[in-house]
Amino acid sequence: MMLRPPVRVIPRLDVKGQNLVKGIHLEGLRVLGDPSYYALRYAGEGADELLFMDAVASLYGRNSLLDVVEKTARNVFIPLTVGGGIRTLDDISKALKAGADKVAINTAAVNDPKFVSQAAERFGSSTIVIHIDAKKTKSGGWNVWTENGREPTHLQVEPWAQQVAKLGCGEILVTSIDSEGTMAGYDRDLLSVVADKVAVPVIACGGANAPHAIADVAHGIDISAVCVASILHYRLAADLERQGYAFGASGEFKVIAEKRDFSRVTPTTIADIKQALHERGVVVRSTQTQMEAHDGK
Amino acid sequence: MTQTKHGLPETVIFCKRCVMSNQRPSTSPEFRKTTTDIKTASFGADGICDACHYAEYKTSKISWADREKELEALLARHRRNDGRYDVVVPGSGGKDSIYVAHVLKFKYGMNPLTVTWAPHIYTEIGWQNFQNWLRAGFDNILVTPNPQAHAIMTRLAFLNLVNPFQPFILGQKMAAPRAALQYDVPLIFYGENQAECHNVMSENFSPLMDIKHFTRESKEDRKLYFGGVQIDDMPKHGVELKEMNPYIPLLREDVEKAKMEVHYMSYYLPWSPQFNFYYAKEHAAFEPNPDGRSEGTYTKFSSLDDRVDGQHYFTMFAKFGQGRAMNDACRDIRDGHITRDEAVALCRKYEGEFPKKYFKDFLDYVKIDEDKYWEVLDSSRSPHLWDKRGNDWVLKHPTA
Repeated sequence: MMLRPPVRVIPRLDVKGQNLVKGIHLEGLRVLGDPSYYALRYAGEGADELLFMDAVASLYGRNSLLDVVEKTARNVFIPLTVGGGIRTLDDISKALKAGADKVAINTAAVNDPKFVSQAAERFGSSTIVIHIDAKKTKSGGWNVWTENGREPTHLQVEPWAQQVAKLGCGEILVTSIDSEGTMAGYDRDLLSVVADKVAVPVIACGGANAPHAIADVAHGIDISAVCVASILHYRLAADLERQGYAFGASGEFKVIAEKRDFSRVTPTTIADIKQALHERGVVVRSTQTQMEAHDGK
Repeated sequence: MTQTKHGLPETVIFCKRCVMSNQRPSTSPEFRKTTTDIKTASFGADGICDACHYAEYKTSKISWADREKELEALLARHRRNDGRYDVVVPGSGGKDSIYVAHVLKFKYGMNPLTVTWAPHIYTEIGWQNFQNWLRAGFDNILVTPNPQAHAIMTRLAFLNLVNPFQPFILGQKMAAPRAALQYDVPLIFYGENQAECHNVMSENFSPLMDIKHFTRESKEDRKLYFGGVQIDDMPKHGVELKEMNPYIPLLREDVEKAKMEVHYMSYYLPWSPQFNFYYAKEHAAFEPNPDGRSEGTYTKFSSLDDRVDGQHYFTMFAKFGQGRAMNDACRDIRDGHITRDEAVALCRKYEGEFPKKYFKDFLDYVKIDEDKYWEVLDSSRSPHLWDKRGNDWVLKHPTA
């Protein structure tokens, strides 16, 4: 049996304009403040990578968060992935130039699967992540969605994952729209189906809840990374609020300002998640080493 | 001079803060309407609409702690501990009514009776959310009008007023007060004061709904119009008076004698549809639209329960040049969720998208064919808003 590489913990940062945002089922996006602040904190707390997703890329037909990426790349030294609005080879070049190590592609691949092979050929498979937004169908399978979870397609997730793997993508990021933002746990069935069908690494996303539950999924299913958002973001948002951060400057921020937080959130750290993974026998990179490396730079 | 229809102002102005135009109708009692003429939203001299002025006032001037004390005093006056209901909460089981009913019962210890006025044709997700609402712990009365009569009234409202939603709005306004009378519950709690979105600001300083919206002056008051048709003429159109029960406004004296008070929760607690979505998700297993964003807009969490709903917004778009995306975007700007720039982009992308998913259901429901539909719709387009280019109708003033 091949030795399983360490499972990575990847905070996901959905960005809209100048702000980090977070929703439920990719709807009701809440403004949570300056994404650079979150990125730096996560890098310092031992994240293995960061994922930036432009939540309104399809609206403007472009990815507008490259300045955020650039700013982050100057200060953190873990791999950065940029998604949302990546439609051409030129878009990929620009993202890489801004400091991204990888790009995540959804809509452009759905519209033209050849784009996946062209991108992989030009930039190398390890640069190309295919992002699948998946939603359950009534018949029990999953369909692929685009436009940040607002538009259904007729593609089914399993054959689509196999196709993009064959076309040369380096990783597949699977987001369950049904679980996203609910903190009710990853969709295990969805992840198993995809992980069983493809040989490329699979990143789990959507529904991350308690560390031990995340560890259970990583233990039982052959995924290479776990994406986490709400349970990390809300802790930092509360920190920011306590520090008197001027949320007004980065868009209004009524919910936390009015202390009407989403009460199901159990604030969690990256170290908590790694600890739980470790206890479950899943190999992770130690937070400690990373924090030292980060501080060293 | 270009003529305008529906009494619309000739010059189109967009609010500088949100993207609402001055063509937006303000609310007035539906059963008094004989034509499509409306009063429009009010703008300040600074080019900012009243809704935005009020939103600013709300965030800066209101002490929500004081408002909550007012709420507690009101509820203390009405709370009953003998098993009877003490508040009526109208609602569909969408995110907003879930929030109101739930805080009243579980935070403030009231005993609400929820009252639902049925949609024309339930969507699957609407029914599911409605049921999940009740499962969160509520008694409910579902008021369903005779579908034959309701369909004829919807047809009349479409043909005469290009407002197919009017019979729904009429019945919705009456259903909760009527149940309140029957159950001897003087207190009714709605969610948001509609005036906050499109009436003059002065109407927002009271927590109460004016009872003119659901009462008639006396038994002799026959100035009641349904789909623009006077009540005594309804039998000629196929609706006997005995079918009109759900729509006939209550008698003012009955409502006054019962000391009925209709309050808005948005006066007492900070009101945000987005927050309500999170709350509903947490407390009542609320699900957004499983088909993705709703037609004509970018959101997927509001007005999901009625297959005819898309026509409500689309007819508004034809008449007033503003549809569902603008409606949602204005709200989101005022609540600080999106920027004006984003709102303009959203309107350009989604505004006026034709609701085709349930179009056939709608035509079957009101029993008209597609040609008639377009004839009525297109004749409602005011020349100061619309240009016909080839076969396409183009807005003269796109959202800017």
